[in-house]
Amino acid sequence: MFKELDPILHSQLRLAVMSLLIGVKEADFTFIREKTNATAGNLSVQVQKLKDAGYIEVTKQFKDNYPQTTCKITATGIEAFDAYVKALQQYLQAGSS
Amino acid sequence: MEEKKVMTESESLALIADMIQRAKHTYYETGVGPILWGTVVSIASCMTYLQKEYHFSIGFDIWIIVLIAIIPQILISIREKRMHGVKKHEDDALNAVWVTYAISIFGLIIYQNIIPEATVQLNAQEGWVMMRHYTNLQHPDEMIRPFAPSIYSLFILLYAFPTLVTGIVKKFRPMLAGAGIAYVLFIVSCYTASKYDMLLGSVSAICCWLIPGIILRRKYLAQKSAAHV
Repeated sequence: MFKELDPILHSQLRLAVMSLLIGVKEADFTFIREKTNATAGNLSVQVQKLKDAGYIEVTKQFKDNYPQTTCKITATGIEAFDAYVKALQQYLQAGSS
Repeated sequence: MEEKKVMTESESLALIADMIQRAKHTYYETGVGPILWGTVVSIASCMTYLQKEYHFSIGFDIWIIVLIAIIPQILISIREKRMHGVKKHEDDALNAVWVTYAISIFGLIIYQNIIPEATVQLNAQEGWVMMRHYTNLQHPDEMIRPFAPSIYSLFILLYAFPTLVTGIVKKFRPMLAGAGIAYVLFIVSCYTASKYDMLLGSVSAICCWLIPGIILRRKYLAQKSAAHV
């Protein structure tokens, strides 16, 4: 029985954001945008979806008079990411056997 | 990144691997800090050696430049913190190691300056003094001021410590090599006169910080120019 792939994570940009955040403690919006080559508007929408799912924490603050948005993966996010990768592996193993 | 309607499982795994690599290979250290400290400590050590070897004085304590370097280091740290955009898991631990190192170096400087006078006073309380006695009897005995012998060896030992930790944690070979060289030079310095310890300390600073700093700087600039292409 295959586990269904998490629809929140099974989207290119959201998965890219989560994959970036899994390897770091926290990253700001500009860093994520540069690494994913996404547009600010699209990234904002996807970040909000991840936040709503409880997968990331988003902190908005002012730094040197400029707004700064920092994203950090949550424990729920780590669990979901782990489950997603395991489900992917299951699909790939089934495909190769 | 354009949003695709459907992603295959292998595409998802490839994307995960790619993003993890992108985060991993982000050089956010500019290399300026290690270059600064490598330069300052190597110049101070080398100048101290030259003054001792060739019996001249530049008229001021060259180690003052190490104290002065704290000011640009604070500015560099503030600037780099603003620029980073990303904080890795190991950053806090490494910062703690370097702060501990700075405190330990400061402690060693205090030790080096306090011990001679404190020893004189403690000896005086017990009613004895330290004397230099020439075994060939060609010179009269003379009173000597106590000192911590070959203390710069301990500085070299300390230079290696945070460098090795950073090298291991960041898997940064130039720092691993620098720390290895510093440990070897520490052992060598145990057998050499203190003026040569200064020279060995200068080489240690170059290997631990200056060379890794230059390598880091080149990587950082290469990454920065690639991002603007």
